[in-house]
Amino acid sequence: MTPKPAGPPDGGWGWVVAAAAFAVNGLSYGLLRSLGLALPDLAEHFDRSAQDTAWVSALALAVQQAASPVGSALSTRWGARPVVMVGGVLTSLGFVFSAFARSLLHLYLGLGVLAGFGWALVFAPALGTLSRYFSRRRVLAVGLALTGNGASSLLLAPTLQFLLDTFGWRGALLLLGAITLHLTPCGALLRPLTLPGDAPAPPRGPLAALGLGLFTRRAFSVFALGTALVGGGYFVPYVHLAPHALDRGLGGYGAALVVAVAAVGDAGARLVCGWLADQGWVPLSRLLAVFGALTGLGLLAVGLVPAVRSEEGWGGPLLAAAGAYGLSAGSYAPLVFGVLPGLVGIGGVVQATGLMMMLMSLGGLLGPPLSGFLRDETGDFTASFLVCGSFILSGSFIYMGLPAALPSCRSASHPATFPPERGELLPAPQVALLSPGGPHSSLDTAC
Amino acid sequence: MRALPGPGGPRAPAPLLLLLLCLLAAARPSWADGHPSASPVTSLPVREEMMAKYSNLPLESHNISLTEHSDVPVEKNITLQRPSNVELICQFTTSGDLNLVNVTWKKDDELLESNYMINITGSIMYTLYTVTIINSKQMGSYSCFFEEEKEQRGTFNFKVPELHGKNKPLITYVGDSTVLICKCQDCAPLNWTWYSSNGSVQRPKGSQILYIPVKELMAIRRANKKNVPLDVQMNDKYVINGTNANETRLKIMHISEEDQGSYWCHAVFQLGESEERLQLVVLSYLVPLKPFLGIIAEVVLLVAIILLCEMYTQKKKKQPDDGKEFKQMEQLKSDDSNGIENNATRHRKNESVSQ
Repeated sequence: MTPKPAGPPDGGWGWVVAAAAFAVNGLSYGLLRSLGLALPDLAEHFDRSAQDTAWVSALALAVQQAASPVGSALSTRWGARPVVMVGGVLTSLGFVFSAFARSLLHLYLGLGVLAGFGWALVFAPALGTLSRYFSRRRVLAVGLALTGNGASSLLLAPTLQFLLDTFGWRGALLLLGAITLHLTPCGALLRPLTLPGDAPAPPRGPLAALGLGLFTRRAFSVFALGTALVGGGYFVPYVHLAPHALDRGLGGYGAALVVAVAAVGDAGARLVCGWLADQGWVPLSRLLAVFGALTGLGLLAVGLVPAVRSEEGWGGPLLAAAGAYGLSAGSYAPLVFGVLPGLVGIGGVVQATGLMMMLMSLGGLLGPPLSGFLRDETGDFTASFLVCGSFILSGSFIYMGLPAALPSCRSASHPATFPPERGELLPAPQVALLSPGGPHSSLDTAC
Repeated sequence: MRALPGPGGPRAPAPLLLLLLCLLAAARPSWADGHPSASPVTSLPVREEMMAKYSNLPLESHNISLTEHSDVPVEKNITLQRPSNVELICQFTTSGDLNLVNVTWKKDDELLESNYMINITGSIMYTLYTVTIINSKQMGSYSCFFEEEKEQRGTFNFKVPELHGKNKPLITYVGDSTVLICKCQDCAPLNWTWYSSNGSVQRPKGSQILYIPVKELMAIRRANKKNVPLDVQMNDKYVINGTNANETRLKIMHISEEDQGSYWCHAVFQLGESEERLQLVVLSYLVPLKPFLGIIAEVVLLVAIILLCEMYTQKKKKQPDDGKEFKQMEQLKSDDSNGIENNATRHRKNESVSQ
C-alpha cells in the first residue's frame, strides 16, 4: 500500500516546478505583452487601423483569462501535466496558423482564439500546481514564477524585433510558434503530487470540475468581488502608461523610461514581497488589502502628475509615481495567488486560480476600453487613471472584509492559532466543523 | 534705404504709410552711409502691380534673432508647398552703434538689391525682406547679413515637404502581397508616381514607371509616342491608391523573387519635387522553415528527456524495494524448508509484492 501522502514538499522538486511556472508565465503573459511590436507591421500589411490590430492581443488576453476555469477544470480531472502539454501544442498551432493568415480574421482566430485558449490551458494549472508544492515558502515561489513575465519581456521583445527585421511578420509568427512549443516541456515537468487535502475521486461533472461551489464560501466570494473590481483597474497601465507619459510631454525615450521603471519595480517587488509575506509577520489578507490600496493610490498619483514643461524634462514626478505603482502592483501579484490556499484549501487551489483569472478578465475587458473612452472624452488620461485607481481602491476596501486569520500555512515562525501537526494539516475535528458538507468537504482541508 | 510696399488686399493703406516713412527716413543723414540710392517712387508702381496680382496668395512670416555674440550662423528651415508671399524678418541687437551696421541680403550666393527695408527701434535693428515664391526657381536659401566688426548671418532655407517611407527594408514572401506606403506631413502633392529598379540607390534614368494615373497616361501618349510606360496587364500586379492626399500606397500582388529591389515614390509640388526610396526584400518560405524545424526537434528532444528521466528515477525508487523483496523472498525460501509457517510467510510475501 502506498504510504500516506505527506504535506507539500516545500522545496526539492518544487523549485523545478517554480522554474517551469516561470517559463510558462514568460511564454504566455510575457509573450503577449511583446506581441504589440508586431502589430504595426500587421496593420500596414492588412491595411487596417491600429485599433483593429490591437484587438488581436486584446482578444488573446480575454480568451486566456476567461477560459482559465476550463483549464483548471480539465486539470482537476486529468492532472495538470497533460493539460499544460496539450495547451502548449494548441498555442503553438495558433501561431503557426496565423503565420499563413490572409486576412485579419485569420489572425483573430489563430492568435486570439486558438493561442489564447492554449494559454488558458497552461497558466492556471501551472500556478496551481506550484502552490501545491509549497506551503511555508509559497508566496516567494509564486513571486519567483511571476517574475517570468518581466524577464521574458526583456528577452522576448528584442528577439521579436530581430525576428521581425530578419523574417518579416510571417516568419516571426512561425518561429514564435516553435518558441511557444516550449510550454510542452514545461508541462512535462509538472509532476503530479498527492496531498492530504485532495478530493479522493475526480469531480463528477463539468460544473463540479469548474469549482463553482467555491463561491458558496463567504471568504472566497468576498475575495472574488474585490478581485473583479481590482481587475477593472489593474490592466489599464499595461495599455495606457506609455501614451499617458507621451501626453504629459515626455519624449519617446522618456516614456520608455517610465514604463521600464514601472516594470522593474513590478518584477523586483514580486520577489521581495514574496519573501516578506512568507515570513508571516502580517496576515496575507491584510497584506493583500494594503498593497492593493497602495497600487490604487499609485495610479491616482500617476493620473494627477502635472505635465512636463519641456520635452527634455526627465519627468521626475511621473517616474516616481510610476515606480510607486510598479512596486505596489508587483507586491500585489503574488499575494493574490498566495492567499488562495488559505481561502479554499490546497485541494481547491487549481480551480480557485482558474476562477480568479476569469474574474480579473471581466475587469480586464472593461478597464482599458473605458479608459480609452475617457481619454477621448476629456482629452487626456487624468480621468482614466483616476477611475482605474478608484476601482482598485474600492476592491482593496472590500479585501478588508476577508478574515484576518486564514488557516495559516506557517509552522514554527509564529504561534499559529491551530497547533501545527505533521505537515501543516488542520486537526480533523475542525475540518468537519468548517465544511458545509457534501462533495466539497474534502476541499476544506487547508494547506 | 529701400522702399517696401506692403502686400495688397486688406493691407492696402499700408504701402502709402510705409512710403511716407521711407521718404522721411531718406531725409535722415544716418541712412546715407553705404546704401546706393534708387528712387523708390519709380520702382513702386511695378512692384505694387505684382503684389496686387499675387494678393490672393497666403502670407507667411518668419523671424530670426541675432546678436553680436552669435558664434554660429543661425538657420531656419521652412517647408513650403504652395506659392506664397513670404516675409523674412531678421533682428539684430548689439551694444555698439546700430547706425554703423551694414545690412545685406543674399539668395544662395547672389546679392539682392531690392525688396527689403531696414528699421531701427530703440536698440534693435530690424530688416524685412519680402518675396513671392511661385515656382521652384525662387526656392532656396535666403540670408541676411549684419556687418559690424564681425559678420552675423541668419539663413532661411526653403524646401518642399519631405517624403517619409520606411527606414527598414520591407520583408515579404513569394506569393504574398504587400503594400508600400509613402507619406508626407500636411501636404497635398499635385501627383504621385512610383518607380522601380533593381540594385542601385540613385534612381537611374531609365527606370521603369510602374503606373501612371489614366489622365497622365493619355497626356504622355499624346505628347510622346515613344515613352509609353508599362502595359496594362501590370494592373493586375500593381494597384496605386491613397486614402488621403498626403499619402500614396503601392500594393504589389503575386510577389515573385524578381520583385526584390528598390522602389521610389515621387511627389510633384508646384514649388518642386520630392522623392523617397523604399526597399523590398523577398524571401521564400524555406528561409524560416529551417530554424522552425530545428526548434521543434529540440522541444521534442526535451520532452523525451524529461519523461525518460522521470521514468528512470521512478524505476530506481522501485528497485530498492524490489531488492528488499527479493532478499525477503530468499530468506523466506530458506525458511520455507522449515515447515508449516510457509503459508503465513507466503501470505505476507504476497502482500508485500502486491503493493
